[in-house]
Amino acid sequence: MGEFKVHRVRFFDYMPSAIRSMAFNSHTERLAVARADGAVEIFNFADNYFQEKVIAGRDGRSIEALCWVGCRLFSAGLDGEITEYDLENLRPRYSIEAYGGPIWTISGNSEGTLLAAGCEDGTVKMFEVLEDRIQFQRNLSRQKGRIISLSWHPSGAQIAAGMMDMIRIFDSETGHATHRLLVDRGVGASKSREVVVWSVAFLNDHTIISGDSAGKVQIWDGLTGTLIRTHLVTKWDVLVLAVSQDESSVIAGTSEGTIVQFQFISSTVGQQDKLWVRTRTFKNHSHDVRALVHTDSAVISGGMDTQLVVRPLLDKVEKNTQESALRKIAFPHRNLVSCAKKAGLLLFQFPDHLELWRLGESDRNGTPGESLPVNRKPEKLIQLKTKGEDHICCSALSPCGSWLSYATVAAVRLYRLQISSNNISIQKVSKLPRELKSVHQLCFSSDSCRLFASSSFSSVVVVALNQTDCKYLHTLKHKSGSRQPIHILSPSEDGQWLATANTDCEIHVFNLRKMKLHCSVPAYSSCPTAVSIHPTTGNLVSVHADQQIFEFSLKQKEYSEWSRQLQRQGLHPLWLQRDTPVTSISFNPNNPAHIMLHDVFMFCIIDQSLPLPEAKTKFYNQMILRSLPQPQRLRESHAFKTCKNFQHLLSVNLLEDLSLVVVERPLVDIVAQLPAPVRQKKFAT
Amino acid sequence: WFPTCLLSNITLLREDMMSLPWDPTERDNMANKQRGEGTSVEKKAENKKGADDFNLALDSSDDEAPEEVTFEDSKARAVESLKLALDTARREKELLKEKRRKRQEFFQEQKVCLTFFSCIINISFLYKLGVHFYAVTAMWSTNLNSGLKGSYTVSTVTDRGQSDYQRQAAEDFIQSRLYGPGSCRSSNNEMLSLQNKTRADKSAAVQFVKKDWGAFKNTINEPQTML
Repeated sequence: MGEFKVHRVRFFDYMPSAIRSMAFNSHTERLAVARADGAVEIFNFADNYFQEKVIAGRDGRSIEALCWVGCRLFSAGLDGEITEYDLENLRPRYSIEAYGGPIWTISGNSEGTLLAAGCEDGTVKMFEVLEDRIQFQRNLSRQKGRIISLSWHPSGAQIAAGMMDMIRIFDSETGHATHRLLVDRGVGASKSREVVVWSVAFLNDHTIISGDSAGKVQIWDGLTGTLIRTHLVTKWDVLVLAVSQDESSVIAGTSEGTIVQFQFISSTVGQQDKLWVRTRTFKNHSHDVRALVHTDSAVISGGMDTQLVVRPLLDKVEKNTQESALRKIAFPHRNLVSCAKKAGLLLFQFPDHLELWRLGESDRNGTPGESLPVNRKPEKLIQLKTKGEDHICCSALSPCGSWLSYATVAAVRLYRLQISSNNISIQKVSKLPRELKSVHQLCFSSDSCRLFASSSFSSVVVVALNQTDCKYLHTLKHKSGSRQPIHILSPSEDGQWLATANTDCEIHVFNLRKMKLHCSVPAYSSCPTAVSIHPTTGNLVSVHADQQIFEFSLKQKEYSEWSRQLQRQGLHPLWLQRDTPVTSISFNPNNPAHIMLHDVFMFCIIDQSLPLPEAKTKFYNQMILRSLPQPQRLRESHAFKTCKNFQHLLSVNLLEDLSLVVVERPLVDIVAQLPAPVRQKKFAT
Repeated sequence: WFPTCLLSNITLLREDMMSLPWDPTERDNMANKQRGEGTSVEKKAENKKGADDFNLALDSSDDEAPEEVTFEDSKARAVESLKLALDTARREKELLKEKRRKRQEFFQEQKVCLTFFSCIINISFLYKLGVHFYAVTAMWSTNLNSGLKGSYTVSTVTDRGQSDYQRQAAEDFIQSRLYGPGSCRSSNNEMLSLQNKTRADKSAAVQFVKKDWGAFKNTINEPQTML
């Protein structure tokens, strides 16, 4: 089948950023996630929770709250600005100063006409949502403490504001504070510290639910301003609350990493008197939970441990199905590692810098499973910090290792590298074509003479590179009218084709010799996560977010026979149940029937010459095959050969000398660098 | 993490700038003059009172006419005081000119110092310094390119002093509430070690096994990101 020398790379210190806030748009089924470094990610919940878009962050931008108003996304943070995002061009559209100091929270009313911002100076600022911008309308009556949390009453007539030691209810028409609900401080040592009302929820029947730093969830009557019930949920803080659409369930996230659910049910079945009763507790996280979303069928949480967890509620979904499985999204759904196949170099993309490493060498051979001694260690050649405060959106390294490029929302940078055994030099190419702006994805051609950059309006800019400078050649456009950003660029080995995929689930193939559109792959409902063109057969292989695999012949402009057979038979259920997407596809020049794919937990080689597995055959059969004698092996083999030895995989590449490079980032190494968790006393420890 | 040598140089320059005249002496003189006049008036009054007390017994008659002051005398005095005022004004103007000239020279020297600084710093050092210093030197060096003449423009990089301070205060607030005293926090090592010891296949504490736990390979960037 295949024996590979594997470079196991664990020196990519990839560190995800904590999740600070989330907002769910139930119409488009998109979840927006704001990270501590200012990045905003969009997940498509209807498409297997695929991370569709990432808007890079910025030094100094801190997001405290996210809010959807219709299909528009707004954020506000401690820098005192409200930002609207352009989701087609993956950048902030504009920012306006609220002039109230740091903003702690923003919330839109149910009509989508007003946006309220809670500020450090004690004001709740109302902004009118206009067609292309927001405009300051007025301040509600200014309070003496900071406004930490806000919640509109569904009618829009009142707003509840969580502050220090109290909750204020404002009349949104007059702007006056009508009620003041005093929140008890903690007991013992915490009595001397003010209690922070981290989160409030205002329900339709005028019930207010609050979560505070003393660990309490309190239920208030918003009409009379009285406390109905207190639930002490944790010794630490209750950081966030979320209410379900039908207001029958409220979830509270704590610093312990637990999520407590309260449901509005009657204590005895059949009776009418309903109360808020504490029902379930989920321990999904190891660190503080700072963001929560309650959808109709699931609890979505995120926090300081950087993982996004989707917990379906088992009373709303069918048990023991794919739908009811717990999902943890811990790694990005795109490639942060570029590999120069001919030069044996790796480029690691961090938010604020790039690292270029040379792989180590081992000249010995061994048996499978053996660790080979390294006679030259891998070394870091260059660390390149970005100029400016914007974080890196995308980066690329040419296959020969002589060109390096990265893009931020502000600019594109191109560098010429000269690497010999004892000397490294990097030179910036200063005059870049002005068509290179607003770039979402970068890719070099296989002969390193062209640079492809995906730009606005779903177009691709082609730039020619030579020794001294770079020249603009052409802009490739497709005719579908979609303006969604292109997130995958894949040129063919021979330089004739360029395959592109955008977040509207379209795959377009361009002919680079004629510089025009060659064909578009028939529309499929799931977004492509990896696309690549086979060097010898000229077939385009695509893997999608729902784990489907397609092979499309570029010459015949139709699906290949193998692909049709795969669709007829269907993929194995274990393949379809994987919850991480395939982020790259490569091919083995020695064996044209092989397709190499990987996701976070496994690396797989699909052998197109072998039969496809049936639903009842054992999928992970490598161990069994090894124990069988040689003639029987061929009978029992099927096309999907998976290897789970390496985890967690960020990237798998095949070098020119046919050795494999696997870049692993064990989750334990990430946890090691997280902030401190709370101290939990467990029995007998 | 501004390199302290450079920082001290620049602050030194700034301090010099600040200590440069505005000559406090003149203002103090004015104040003193005022105070002096005030006291002298009081003293004169007191003396006068004393004198009057003495004089009470002696001669003064209430219906003595005041001293005669001729027109010429008062005219002369008025002209004199006017001349004095004009003289002081002229002197002050000259002093001011002198001050301005000195300040100009001082700024020229400062600019020369800065070109010197930017020459001796090489690119990698600037990268390590990060953005702000790079931007500041770039700004000042562009001013230099316009020639070392008398005119120059001073502009701040970004005027974010107030908002940065507020943002920092807000971040400190969250930090102290979540991680400050009384927050009962443990460590990642302890949490993972507990997991190791309480699961079915027990194993040793994490830090015991991994010798390089927490040792970071990045030499430049700081490890822990708290928020």
